[in-house]
Amino acid sequence: MTTTNKEIYDAVIIGAGISGLICGCYLAKAGMKVLIAEQHHKPGGYCTTFKRKGFSFDATAHCFGGYRENGMTRKVFEDLGINKKIKIIRSDPASQVVMADKEVFFWSDVNKTIHSFQAAFPDESNEIENFFYFLIKPNPSSFSRIRSSSFGDLLNDYFKNEKLKSILSAPLLGIGGLPSSQMSAFIGAKLFSEFLIDGGYYPEGGMQTLSDAIADRFRELGGELKLSCLVSKIKVKDNKIRGIIIEKEGFIPSNYVISNCDARQTFLKLIGKTVIPQDFILKIKKMTPSLSDFILYIGTDGNFESSLIPGINLCFFLHYDLERAYLAARKCDIDGFGGFLLHVAHDKSTILAYIPASYKNKSYWDNNKHNFMEFLVKQIEKYAVPNLSKHILYKEAASPHTLHRYTLNYRGASYGWAGTSSQLADPDLRKPSFIQGLYLTGHWATLGVGISGVIYVGYDTAKLIVRKEKIGV
Amino acid sequence: MNVDKIEKEIMSIISDISGFDIEEINLDTKLADQLEIDSIKAIEIVVAIEKKYKILIRDEDVPKIITVREAVDLVNKLVR
Repeated sequence: MTTTNKEIYDAVIIGAGISGLICGCYLAKAGMKVLIAEQHHKPGGYCTTFKRKGFSFDATAHCFGGYRENGMTRKVFEDLGINKKIKIIRSDPASQVVMADKEVFFWSDVNKTIHSFQAAFPDESNEIENFFYFLIKPNPSSFSRIRSSSFGDLLNDYFKNEKLKSILSAPLLGIGGLPSSQMSAFIGAKLFSEFLIDGGYYPEGGMQTLSDAIADRFRELGGELKLSCLVSKIKVKDNKIRGIIIEKEGFIPSNYVISNCDARQTFLKLIGKTVIPQDFILKIKKMTPSLSDFILYIGTDGNFESSLIPGINLCFFLHYDLERAYLAARKCDIDGFGGFLLHVAHDKSTILAYIPASYKNKSYWDNNKHNFMEFLVKQIEKYAVPNLSKHILYKEAASPHTLHRYTLNYRGASYGWAGTSSQLADPDLRKPSFIQGLYLTGHWATLGVGISGVIYVGYDTAKLIVRKEKIGV
Repeated sequence: MNVDKIEKEIMSIISDISGFDIEEINLDTKLADQLEIDSIKAIEIVVAIEKKYKILIRDEDVPKIITVREAVDLVNKLVR
């Protein structure tokens, strides 16, 4: 083993996704010498922005949540001074769900949101209020008691109306990739409270501004961020982390390795099967990743007429059968899915539309990408933005293969592991007991999804390490 | 199964998940108040205990675990 870099890091983080960046900031703030190695040429993971023909498109994530007073995202941004580097705006309402004959809005005032649901479903008025208060009341045990339930079970505890249950589940199929029957109640409740009730925040200038601001802060705190830097191995000896190997640079010693990249890759490729217990390898091979997405990016002339509020997230379905929609998404049956998710930029310059989709193979997307784009444009034109075609100046799409190519997430998974209750909070996917000094952070750590979820995991991972090192939080 | 052994093992799990040193943890330590155990950490602890002892903890019993002692008592009851 050759050591080309004599510096020894206290911690190396693989991947500059939001969770890796946040974890890095806290570790550096505590005085540790930290390196973040990112294979892409920009930081952010799924929270990046790209430019084409003068348009600026958010690649995947297009807003964030948890920024209320005492919210996790706000706490972390204030701790690190991120909020001083960027201007955060929010559309109000932040989200709209339209299904066949009903529609509801998510407003910044939760009571207004409750009223929106009550107006659509007057028969379930009391239950709607109870449900929302269950989600927003700060009782630490209220979410832990729903650990093994599905989000569907939780909805059944409150409601009888099937349409109401569907309208509460629909946005979660969009932002979590599962129908309520399969989504963990805990993850569903968290997504609901952090991303829908308290969602729709946006860093002015685009999502990259947020990732860049956190990366800047990391550097200011003394951290080193290497971009276009692919890690090829995690070195482990006697069940203890020794460091990493970076392509073209060689061995870099470190006491801790925090992986913010794909979990299968972390274990099966970077660490290697010889170091990992056989039963763990079998387990990880059996685990199910979340679905990916097909994403359409549209650059417009900004002059289109639509009832949609700029900055809003629309979840649209022609029907209420989300089980059917989920199966259609798995088969990449865009027509059978019967809906779409859509985000109009605050300045109306761009539109991002997406539907959950499975990985398939490259030739499938080579053959179908164009049809998918055309179909989605027609659907949007018909149901959300009339005459859209006349206002399109540029359009492009990302398939699950594109998402994989840019982030190396297994099968282009949008949310790490599928958020089922059986895959929730696995201790070996957070801090594997068989390798001392190894931690996972981000959406593959089985604790949380969405930007606020991965911010929590990044913050908490740093806290665990800093406590272990006894250097104060 | 040895009761003292279970006690030590559970303290070790809680120490791992909370990040607090095992010396700072005793049977009367309150998980939420003293070790900053929130709902997701409570779930992490329960899942880790279930995996270690191959037992099933009912969801309704999770909020009843206030101190380390309740976790130890629950495991002792379930492994018998």
